[in-house]
Order: sequence, then structure tokens, then C-alpha cells
Amino acid sequence: MKKKYILSLVFVMLLSIGLAGCGGSNESSGDGGGDSDGGSADGGTLIFGRGGDSVALDPAAVTDGESFKVTKNIFDTLLSYGEQDTEINPGLAEDWEVSEDGKTYTLMLREGVKFHDGTDFNADSVVFNFERWMNGSEESFYYYKSMFGGFKGDEGHVIESVTAKDDYTVEFKLKRPQAPFLKNLAMSPFAIASPDAIEKHGDKFGENPVGTGPFVFDQWSRNDKIVVTKNEDYWMDGYPKLDRVIFRAIPDNSARLNALMAGEIDLMDGLNPSDVSQVESDENLEVFFRPSMNVGYLGLTSNREPLNNKKVRQALNHAVDKQAIIDAFYAGQAEPAKNPMPPVIGGYNEDIEPYEYDLEKAKALLKEAGYEDGFDMELWAMPVPRPYMPDGQKVAEVIQSSFAEIGVNAEIKSYEWATYLEKARNGEADSFLLGWTGDNGDADNFLYVLLDKDNIGSNNYTYYSNDELHDLLIEAQSTPDEEKRNELYKEAQEIIHEDAPWIPLVHSKPALGGSERVKGFNPHPTGSDTLTKVTLEEK
Amino acid sequence: MAEIAPQKQTNVPKQPDEEVISPWREAWKGFRRNKLAMVGMGIVLFFILLAIFAGVIAPEGINDQKLSERLQSPSASHWFGTDDFGRDILSRIIYGARISLWVGFFAVLGSAAIGSLLGLIAGYYGRMVDTIISRIFDIMLAFPSILLAIAVVAVLGPSLRNALIAIAIINIPNFGRLVRSRVLSVKQEEYVMAARAVGMRDTRIIFSHVLPNSLAPIIVQGTLAIATAILEAAALSFLGLGAQAPQPEWGKMLADSRQYIIQAPWTVFFPGLAIMLTVLGFNLLGDGLRDALDPKMKK
Repeated sequence: MKKKYILSLVFVMLLSIGLAGCGGSNESSGDGGGDSDGGSADGGTLIFGRGGDSVALDPAAVTDGESFKVTKNIFDTLLSYGEQDTEINPGLAEDWEVSEDGKTYTLMLREGVKFHDGTDFNADSVVFNFERWMNGSEESFYYYKSMFGGFKGDEGHVIESVTAKDDYTVEFKLKRPQAPFLKNLAMSPFAIASPDAIEKHGDKFGENPVGTGPFVFDQWSRNDKIVVTKNEDYWMDGYPKLDRVIFRAIPDNSARLNALMAGEIDLMDGLNPSDVSQVESDENLEVFFRPSMNVGYLGLTSNREPLNNKKVRQALNHAVDKQAIIDAFYAGQAEPAKNPMPPVIGGYNEDIEPYEYDLEKAKALLKEAGYEDGFDMELWAMPVPRPYMPDGQKVAEVIQSSFAEIGVNAEIKSYEWATYLEKARNGEADSFLLGWTGDNGDADNFLYVLLDKDNIGSNNYTYYSNDELHDLLIEAQSTPDEEKRNELYKEAQEIIHEDAPWIPLVHSKPALGGSERVKGFNPHPTGSDTLTKVTLEEK
Repeated sequence: MAEIAPQKQTNVPKQPDEEVISPWREAWKGFRRNKLAMVGMGIVLFFILLAIFAGVIAPEGINDQKLSERLQSPSASHWFGTDDFGRDILSRIIYGARISLWVGFFAVLGSAAIGSLLGLIAGYYGRMVDTIISRIFDIMLAFPSILLAIAVVAVLGPSLRNALIAIAIINIPNFGRLVRSRVLSVKQEEYVMAARAVGMRDTRIIFSHVLPNSLAPIIVQGTLAIATAILEAAALSFLGLGAQAPQPEWGKMLADSRQYIIQAPWTVFFPGLAIMLTVLGFNLLGDGLRDALDPKMKK
């Protein structure tokens, strides 16, 4: 895959050499048209600079934040979260009822909402979308599997049926109660797409998304930009304010900051922690902090030699100086992690004793495991800055150096982002840096999604499997009582701590930078922001 | 390169009259008078010594991370300052000399060997063989060299060794063409005709008469090519296709520190300076050698 990537890079370079001559004139005429568009209306065009391109724009088919960042603005979900929290608010459903036994949910849908292709949104379209996911496979909708326990016919599948009671009422029947069900419905991946468009585009829906959201998909040039325009018929009166949003991929953090300072973009995520003070001191710019709800970790693929040995994984856990990494590459804007989920989430186990940084202990554990002389392994570092890890390569180098001191010889590897995720999901990495930003603010969205055996091949990239943990997590899912649920999650964290399938590294407070003209922007803890209420002030 | 010249001396004085000063010694005399060339040789020798004695000279290792001492400006304890891992930049540059010279020297050795051989064959046999080999060279030269190098690394996978191979490959046609044109003229010399007349085998003629008499341009081209090879290795490493962490390759050091160019300019200044100096050194040396070895070029 790496070869393919570089070959394609070479091809693109060749192509760009060939096209260099005519490119200039094309571009300027295109820009001219766009500008006059923007000038006639008053909302203006917001350019959002980010670290990577989206993988696909079919929200149900992806799990990466860069895709959700865009789909969140093209699609609506049945329920939505609060402005800066994960409380349940109305979305496409105006109201909802839950039965006594917690197994039947009835949603009353908003009337008069239309998809971007002009078709009506109604109960049938909701049923259509759920049927599509339920009849899918791990290949196509793996996030659905993570959140609802499987697909039609699977034993773990939570949803028994979804039916349209009338045009604007949908009823969900569950096989067993699922405590975070409503929170799940509000997640970006389970946004409602136009059934017509899905049938029309088939496999290509990810490149031709049609939803009900505040912005309409316009165009996508891979690895460059995605353009969305205002949905004039949006159901929320008077919104969105902006005429157009362009999501531009600028992988390098410093290059993105330069673009912001030069006024080429209006908003950027992935502001280097070390650059925060520079942005603060610039009177035309502003720093936004995203409420922290994430974890950055080093996954230890637990079915690969010698990482299948628990002692080895524990030893590696002792060999990482998290605080030093935070001081050096997060400018202190993070706290060291000891659990796979952040402390803001209910059920966080405060009492876990973290593996302290102690190379002697690490060596002793390696000796017990029979690897006194250490071993060789690969250490994968993500190629793009992520909110939970602004510079994966540097973090990898720090870890590589301290591993070397206990005799573990780690070779740093990196692939293009989509390839990286795919290969890691296939279990091809020995150890890999990755992270997770909570999508619904529930412990289930961290522990079950990332570490349960059900999710091997989807979001459990470490192939860690523990039946005891599985039973606990399933029980917690079906326990409506909050306190009892939290106890179960605390117990689960103890098991995970002992088995050490990860080295939890940090919970970061991601920083964003923006022009002073950007108003009404409230970064959401889930990492994908709705730009419905954002405005651009004239200078 | 300096040590190659005296070694090959033994091949040359097969001519009958003993008293004549050998052309190599004459060249050395001319070379010594060229001040710039001597400066170039001084720089090159300096870096060669750095590379050989890196273990003794360097105050610290290549990957002694001290995160508490990151991005310190140059001081008495860290002459060139520290990078973002708190590593001593001076030490890394000293060890980096090893990598750059290793890549430069062996890449050029490889391309000179293969290129010269192909050039000898093309030039000596002529006709169809010449046409085929020369057209292949033309095709290779039609690519911008760095692009070809990237393509080669893309196929082999990114690592320092593969970068070396890539650089060796892209430099083959330079040597090939040079040697071919030289062979074309040497082939017409009387001593070659004489050798042929007494029934000497082709291989023997090529290696004991044609090659030694084509050596001077190869040496000149080789010296200059080391400079480009070092630059190309740095470029590949900068793009992430050459040296891998934590190897202290200068181009990689530049790439890793470019985000600190304003905050901590020394992290990019010194690796850049090191690249510039070695390239300058090899270029001056190469120019001097050309003046000394190739009297026709002097004017």
C-alpha cells in the first residue's frame, strides 16, 4: 500500500507538471465565479483548514473524525447533542418516548423537512436507513456494529425492528435495553441520508452525499478540498448563516497556521500546542479550545508475538514517560492517561494506579516474560496531526528512544492516513499510535467500541479479547441504572488495566485557531462541529 | 577520492621511457597551485575525519533524548544548541557526516562502476550495442533526476539504503555517457590499434588500455557527483524517503525541525550549513581535479 501511495504521489507530480501550464487560467476563472457568488449574498465563504482529507462522506461507512467534520454539516441525525456537551436534544425527531421496560422507543419526526435532492424526509426514510445498516456487513458499516452489537441475525444485535407507525412516527423495538440508545442515535454516523440518492448512487454514495443538513454537498477534490453550499430550505429558520464552507486539507500544522495568518483560511484545527501563544498574541486571530473528550494511545496488537504476552505489554507500559511527552509536544495542554477513557465521562475509575515510568520495572517484567534481551517490533506513527496527538512522529520517536533503553528495538513506520487505518484495523501493526474522540459522551463509546471482542475487525484494532470484560460491558449496556452501570465500567477498567492492551498516553485539550471575524463557533467535544450558527463578520 | 589516484598509478607507467614524469604527478603539481581546490580538499578531509572519528569527537550520542533540555540555544555545553528532543545538535551533525559521506561515496562508486562498464561496452563495440545503451541513457536522463529517485524509492520502500541505491541508479547515465565519448576517441589511438593487431582479446584491451586512459574524467565526474549525491540523499530524507528516525541524516534533521525555524533557528541552521559545506567542498575539489587532470578544459 505504501508503494501504491508513493507511486500515486509520483503520478500526481507528473500530472501537475503536465497541467502546470493550463492550471493557472482555469483556476482564476473558477475563483472569479465563486467570488461574485459570495459577494452577492451576505453570509460569505468560510474556509476551514484541517489536517487530513475525509475518507468518505457516507457517515455510516466511516469512523474517522475528518469525515464526520464534513458529514455533520451535510446530514442531520434523529437527535442531537447540546452546543458544547453530549446532552440529548431534538434533531430530526422533535420528541421521543421510552417504554417502561426500556425496550421500545417511539420518535416523533419533524414535518416538512426535505432532503437536498427534493425528496421528503419521513418515517419511511428512517426505516430505509436503518434497514440499510442492519443488512450491511462489517466491511460496509462497522461503526453500526460497534454501537448496536451486530447486524440482522447476529446474536448480539440490539435492534429487533424499526417500523413506521405513520408518516412521521418511528418505533424502535429492542431485544434488550440499551442504556446509551438515545445517545447513539445522535451520533454523526447514524445520520439520515436520502433513500433516493442511496439507490441512485449505490457504492458511490460516499462521494455524492445527500442529507437534510444545513449545507449541500457541492464538490470534492481528493486531498485538497470539499465544498458545501448553503441549504436554502433548511428546516431551522434563518440558518445557516454562511453561504459556503470549504474544507481544505493542509496536512502540515505549521503550513496551516501560516495559511491562517495569511488569511487564506478562516478557521483551523490542529493548532500546534507550541503555537498557541503566537496566535493569542496576534490581534486578528483567536484561539478556541475544544472541551477534552478524547484519548491518545499506543495500541499493542495482542495477537502478535511477543505482544501476545501480557507481561510484555505491561513492561512496555512502564517504559513510557507520559508527562515528558506532554510537556514537550502538547505544551502542557493535556493530562496523562491511565484509563482508556477520559475523566469527564461517567464511570471513569479514579482509583486505577497508573503504570509509573520505571525502566527497571519494565526490564524485570521483560525478563519474567522471557525477553531479557528485548526484541524487535514495528511502531507505527500516524502521518497526520490528530486532535489527541498533534505530532505522532515526534511522540513515536520519544517512545522509540525509551523502548530502546529496555532493549526493545522499535522501527517507526508510517503510511498514508487511510491506508494506516486500514492496515492497523487488519491487525498488521505490532504497535500503533492512535486515539479516539468520544462520539456520544458515554463510557460504552470508549470501552465497548474500542476494546470489546465484538469489535475486533472494526474499531478494536488491538485484537484484544477478554470474555470476562465482554460480559461486563454487555451487562453495562443493558443496565439502565446509572450508578450500577458506572460500577460495572469501573470494574471493566480494572480488567483492561491489568491486561494492558494499550498504553494510554494522554487526554488532550485540542486547540483551534481562527480569524477574529469568525463568530458563533463553539467547538464540540466530539470533534465535529456544526457550522449552522457560525457567522463571518465583515471587517 | 584522494586515495584512489595513487593506487591507480601502478597501472599507468607501462610506457617505455622511464624518465618522464608521470601525468598523475604532473596533475598533482598543478592541483597544488590551485588554492580553491586545496580549500575544497581541506573541507572534504575535515568531514572525512569527522565521520571516521565521530565516536571519539561527538560529545553525545545520536539519540540521547533529554526532553527537559529541548530547544536550547547554542551554549558552552551544547555548541550548536539542542533540538526538540533535547538532543545535542553538534553530535548529531558529526554522526550525520558519516551517513552523508557513506551515501555519497558508495552511491557514486556504484553508479561509476556500472556506468563506466556500460559506457566502455557501448563505446568500444559501437553499432547496435551502442544504440541500445545510449537510448536507455537518454530515457533516464529525460526524467528530472529527483523524480526518478523518488520513483525508485517508491518501488523499493523508504530507507537510507534504498535511497543510496536510487541515487546510484539515477547517476549511471552521467558516467556512461562520459566514458563512452572518451572511449570513442581512445579507441582510435595507435596503441589500441597495435594491441588489436597483435591479437589481444577485447576484454584485455578494454581493461588494460582503454579504461586506464579514461580514468581521469571518471575521477573528476565522481568527485562532483558525490556533491550531488549528498544533496539528493538530503532531499530524499527531507521528503521522508531516505533516512528514518532516529538516524541523524542532515536532510532529515532539517525536515524534523522546520516547524521551529522561527522559535529555534539553530535547529535548521547547522544541518543546512553542514550540507552546504560538504557540497561546496566536493564541488571545489572536483573543479580543481578537472583543471589538473584535463588540460584541454583549462582554457
